[in-house]
Amino acid sequence: MRYRIQLQTSRPLAIVAIALLIVGLSVVIIYYFRTTVVLGPQQTVETSNPKMGVHTRLTDEVEPWKIKRSLEMVREMGAPWIVEYFPWGYMEPKPGQYNWAHADLVIDHANRQGLTIVARMGFVPEWARPKGTTDLYLDQDHFEDFGRFVAQFASRYAGKVKYIIIWNEPNLGLEWGYQPVDPAKYVAMLHLVYPLVKAANPQVQILAGALAPTLAPPGSEAGMNDLDYLQNMYTAGAARYFDILAVHAYGWHSEPDEPAAKDVVNFRRTELLRAIMVANGDSQKSVMITEAGWNDHPRWTRAVLPSQRIAYTIRAYEIAQKEWPWVTTVCFWAFRYPWDAKSYQDYFTFVRTDFEPKPIYLEVQRYAQALVK
Amino acid sequence: MRKGQVIKHKWILFAVGLVVVILLGIGFFARDQIFPPEDRTWQTMQASGVWRIGTDPSFPPFEQLDANGQPEGYDIDLARQIATQWGLKVEIVSIGFDSLLDALQAGKIDSVISALPYDERLTQNVSYSAPYFEAGIRLAVRQDSPITSEEQLVALKVAPKIAVEWGSTGDMVGRRMQREAPALQLIQFSTPEEAVNALVQDQTITALLVDQVTLRQMQGKGLRIKAIGPVLESNPYVIAMPHKASILQAKVEQRLLNLQASANATKLEKKWFDK
Repeated sequence: MRYRIQLQTSRPLAIVAIALLIVGLSVVIIYYFRTTVVLGPQQTVETSNPKMGVHTRLTDEVEPWKIKRSLEMVREMGAPWIVEYFPWGYMEPKPGQYNWAHADLVIDHANRQGLTIVARMGFVPEWARPKGTTDLYLDQDHFEDFGRFVAQFASRYAGKVKYIIIWNEPNLGLEWGYQPVDPAKYVAMLHLVYPLVKAANPQVQILAGALAPTLAPPGSEAGMNDLDYLQNMYTAGAARYFDILAVHAYGWHSEPDEPAAKDVVNFRRTELLRAIMVANGDSQKSVMITEAGWNDHPRWTRAVLPSQRIAYTIRAYEIAQKEWPWVTTVCFWAFRYPWDAKSYQDYFTFVRTDFEPKPIYLEVQRYAQALVK
Repeated sequence: MRKGQVIKHKWILFAVGLVVVILLGIGFFARDQIFPPEDRTWQTMQASGVWRIGTDPSFPPFEQLDANGQPEGYDIDLARQIATQWGLKVEIVSIGFDSLLDALQAGKIDSVISALPYDERLTQNVSYSAPYFEAGIRLAVRQDSPITSEEQLVALKVAPKIAVEWGSTGDMVGRRMQREAPALQLIQFSTPEEAVNALVQDQTITALLVDQVTLRQMQGKGLRIKAIGPVLESNPYVIAMPHKASILQAKVEQRLLNLQASANATKLEKKWFDK
C-alpha cells in the first residue's frame, strides 16, 4: 500500500522531470545548430594590391557567424592580410591549462577565407602578475611563461599562422603595465621568447616593435619617442631576436604624402623607422605596418573629413605597393568592432557593427578590384 | 492519515511554496519600485544649489566658447532653462567628449549635456533622458520642390540625382537607398557644405542626404532647403545622468516635456541655428 502511494505522489514529479529533460535537450540541440557555422569552401582573395590588410577585432566577438562574416567581408574587400589579437590571459587562464576554442574558430575561418594572419600576443593572465597590476604588466620573472605560451600557440597553429607580434606598443607606459618604459627590458623579453618560439615552430616569423608613434619628451611617464625607442632596442641587441619590424603608422590629420620629419607624427614616419633599421645593418628585414589609419569623427581633433579618409587610405595602400618594397603589408585599424564604442573609435572602422559597409569599405573594394577586373 | 489526504496536503504545500517563491522573485526584481533608492545626486544638488553639467565646448552651435572664453550654446541654454525652474545655478565643467561619461560615473559632474548620442550599450552604467534633439540623416530638397517623400523621389521618371558628402553617413544611407532603387544617382562632394550648395545651385540635383545639424545650420544661413520624410538614420542627443539619480531623472524628463510643449524649444533652436 505504501509503495503505491509513493508511486502516485512521485508521478507528477516524474512528469515534470521528463518535461525539463526534453526542454533542456531541445535547448542544447537548438544552441548547437545555431552556433555551429560551417567553414565553407576554400576561398582566395582577389585584389590588385596584395599588400592590403586590416586589423580585425574578433577577440570579443563571441558569435561564430559574425566571425565568419567579418572575415568574408575582409576577403570581399580585397585585403589578403589581417592582424588579430590573441590574448594570453584568455587562452591560458591557469598555468598550463589552455582554451583554444575561440582562437581555433578565428584561425580556421581566416584560413578558409584565404587570409594571412598576423597574430598579436599580449594580455597577461592574473596568475602571471602581482595583484593590483593591469593585464599589460609583465615582469621579468614571467617572461619565460609568456614565451612558453607563445611557443604553444606557434606549435598548435604551425602551417596556419606564420607571423607573430611580440607585445604591443611597449614604448607607452599604459601598454607596459604603467612601469617605466624600458627598451632593454623589452629586448630581454624578445631574447627569451624568440628561441622558445623558434624551437616550437622554426617557420614562424617573429615581429617586434609595434611601437606607438609618439613625440613624448625624454623622461615622460606617458612613453618614449618611437624613434629613440627603436634605436635603444638595437643598442640592446634586439636585431638577433626578431625577423620583421612591426610599425604603427597613423596619419592623424596629415595626408599620406606629407614628408616624414622627426617632430611630426604622420604616415611617412615609417620611413624614419626604416632608416634606423638600415643604419643598424638590418636592411634585409622587412616591415609590416600592423596598425595605421585615419579617423573621420566629426568632433575628434585628430580627425579628417570622410572624403579625405577615403582618399588617404587608398593612397597609403598605393604607397606601400609602389614606393616601399620593404613593406609587406599595411593593416588598417580597424575593420569592425563587435559593438559600437559611441566615440571617435567608431570612425576608424570600415564596416558597422551590423555589417553594413561604410562608404570607405566600398571605395577601397572598388580600388582593389579595379585592375583585377 | 488516508492516502488521498497525504497527496492533497502535499499539493497544498507545493502550491504555497510556489506562491512564496514567486512573491520573493517579484520582490527581488521590483525592489527598486517598492523601496525607491535614495537619490544622492539630487540631494547634493539641493544642498549646494548647483547643477554640475559636463560638456565639451567644441561642437557649435551646441557648445562652444564665446569671445571671453565662457561656454555658450544650445546645450548651455538648455541646462540653464531647466535649472532655473528648479531654482538652481548651472556650473559648466569642460571635459573632453570621450571622458564625459567616465566623469559622470566618477561623480565629478551631475549630468552630461553635450550633444551626446544615445548609447544603448551603456544603459547599465548611466541613465538617459528622452531625446531632446534628433541629429540623424534627413532627405532634403529645395524649398520650392514638389517632392514630399522618399517614395516620390524614387518614383521620378528621370533618375534623380542626390547630393552627399563623400564617405559620410549620408553617403552610406544613399548607397543603402541605391541598393533598393538602383536608378538613384549619388553625386559625391568633398564637404557637406559643397553638397548643400550643389542642391541649392544645381537644378539637375533633386535632393540631398545630410545630417540634421548641418541642415539646420544651412537653413539658418538662409539657404532655402527643407527636410522631407522621416529621419533615415537616427542619432538622438540625450542628457546622461547617474544610474541611481531617480529623482533627477524624473525631474529632467518632466522639464524636457514642458519645454517641448512650450514655445521655448523652438526659440532655443532658432537662437542657435538661425543666426
